Amino acid sequence: MTTNTQNRGGARLGAGRKKNSGKFKEDTKVMRVPLSLVGTVASTLEVYKSQLKSDMEVLKPDFDAPSLSIPIFSSRVQAGFPSPADDHLEDQLDLNKHLIHHQESTFFVRAQGESMLNAGIHPGDILIVDKSLPAKSGKIVIAVVDGEFTVKRLYKYKGKVSLKAENPEFKDIEINEGSELIIWGVVTSVIHQYV
Amino acid sequence: MSKPNQQKFALVDCNNFYASCERVFDPKLAREPIVVLSNNDGCVIARSNEAKSLGIKMGTPYYQVKDLIIDKSVVVKSSNYPLYGDMSSRVMKVISQYSPVQEVYSIDESFIDLTGFTINLNTHMQALKNQVKSWTGIPVCVGMGSTKARAKLANRIAKIYPKFNGVFDIDSLPNDRFKKLLNSVEVAEIWGIGHKSAQKLEQIGINTAYDFYKADIGIIETLLGVNGKRIYRELYGHSCLAIEEIPPARKQIVSSRSFGLDLSDFDEINQALTSLTRRAVSKLNSQSLATTSMSVFIYTNPFKKNTPCINLSKTIGMSAPINDEGLLIPLCSKLLKQIYEPGYKFYKGGVMLGNLTPDKNQQDLFAVGQNRTELKKHPYGNTLRYASELGNDRWLPRAEFQSNRFTTCWGELLIV
Repeated sequence: MTTNTQNRGGARLGAGRKKNSGKFKEDTKVMRVPLSLVGTVASTLEVYKSQLKSDMEVLKPDFDAPSLSIPIFSSRVQAGFPSPADDHLEDQLDLNKHLIHHQESTFFVRAQGESMLNAGIHPGDILIVDKSLPAKSGKIVIAVVDGEFTVKRLYKYKGKVSLKAENPEFKDIEINEGSELIIWGVVTSVIHQYV
Repeated sequence: MSKPNQQKFALVDCNNFYASCERVFDPKLAREPIVVLSNNDGCVIARSNEAKSLGIKMGTPYYQVKDLIIDKSVVVKSSNYPLYGDMSSRVMKVISQYSPVQEVYSIDESFIDLTGFTINLNTHMQALKNQVKSWTGIPVCVGMGSTKARAKLANRIAKIYPKFNGVFDIDSLPNDRFKKLLNSVEVAEIWGIGHKSAQKLEQIGINTAYDFYKADIGIIETLLGVNGKRIYRELYGHSCLAIEEIPPARKQIVSSRSFGLDLSDFDEINQALTSLTRRAVSKLNSQSLATTSMSVFIYTNPFKKNTPCINLSKTIGMSAPINDEGLLIPLCSKLLKQIYEPGYKFYKGGVMLGNLTPDKNQQDLFAVGQNRTELKKHPYGNTLRYASELGNDRWLPRAEFQSNRFTTCWGELLIV
């Protein structure tokens, strides 16, 4: 029988290592390398091998795939009567635009205490403070007196500077020679929420 | 004064930026020594001048200087990046009013191009310095020069010598004075000379900026390559490095943290990584990017003796770009499940999104996530959480000394 002879000796189907199961996970080839380069080639192969061994599990990478953009039709199909208001559309009102003139220098600060009640500043209100505005007499300011923050009305008169409370139960602060005053910013609005 | 055809750059650099931010909202600290600690209160990453003169070095672990800090009553702050980031963008916007060409170089530095300006540049930059200070409360110094490397050097001078009032033009310096200045600068302090390059240079006896300046250009090029050559030429006033107005697109997004304390429990680590993934995805979406690979990693503290050390990570690639946190969060948990090994104390973990591509929704017929989910955009986005994000929050980094997020959080406004 011919099958008998085929089973004896020679290459057998399915024998040996599985294809691509070696350390490089692909076919390899024998090659002559000059002695002086053996180290370099070996270390290159080591690096390559370590990359193969790395924990990268790639599902289906195709990083070089050309980008393809399919245009989207953005204009809607006009069905029905055009709106008579279209020509009269205006921007909606934006409180930010109304209240904030210098975005970079505007900060929100929360008030506490009742010293400015008569100026409409209640405890818990949010003050809009602009650091860029000049501290003119009569403005409500955030001041730093000897390192402490306070909100008061600034008065400058004949070389004297004072910070006035807007509530008769509170004392004004006179700025004397020894104390240090920094105007941190000018209060431009108060946000008082009822609900 | 500059010649008409000469290029002119300015580097605007905030003085002790993090410490200055803290001072804006706490004026009591004006003359106090301040240090700011890195994430998780590990190391000193910023110092006020007062803290510098106490000899506290950059990068020192907190515990090493704790005694000195208590002894000299140094004010300690945990880093408050929401505050610093917001203050930085305010400073950058003010700077942008002074030149049509601006490069935001780092959180506290910006280059601007002043080439062709016919006005008095010193006056112009004094106005910039004063406006930044009065609008934001942050002090800055300005260095000017015919190249970016020279502007950077000039900034150093502006910072050191009060007589220049915070603004200095290095091109106004006579040649002999310029050389004397270079002699006082270490080669590692030249802009663009990194730690490794400096070591190479020091090996052949180039220790100061002046040694570098008078060295042979061929030697510099052999040693440091074309980048070193560029910096060399920049010092001589040949502009080789242009202003980069558009920041180069990100190659990868990493979101990682040292945990508040070592974690061993799977659910606790998963909670941390879910939060970190959400953070990474929100960065991804804010830049309109999508990712095609995700890595998850956790490791034990390599410095801790007598405990087993392990470093675990796994990366997965995707067939189509993804930008949906609803897909990436389960993927993160899946990867974590594969690498997690019980019995170790993990001290740090994170996720990395790699191979970023512009987010084009219709790129691929098989692409997923056309209706991407991002809880942040939901009306209750600030309170909604993924289930895996819930837990005991033990992973949260320590930030014992953090000031309020005065400018980004309604509940933490300055109170007067």
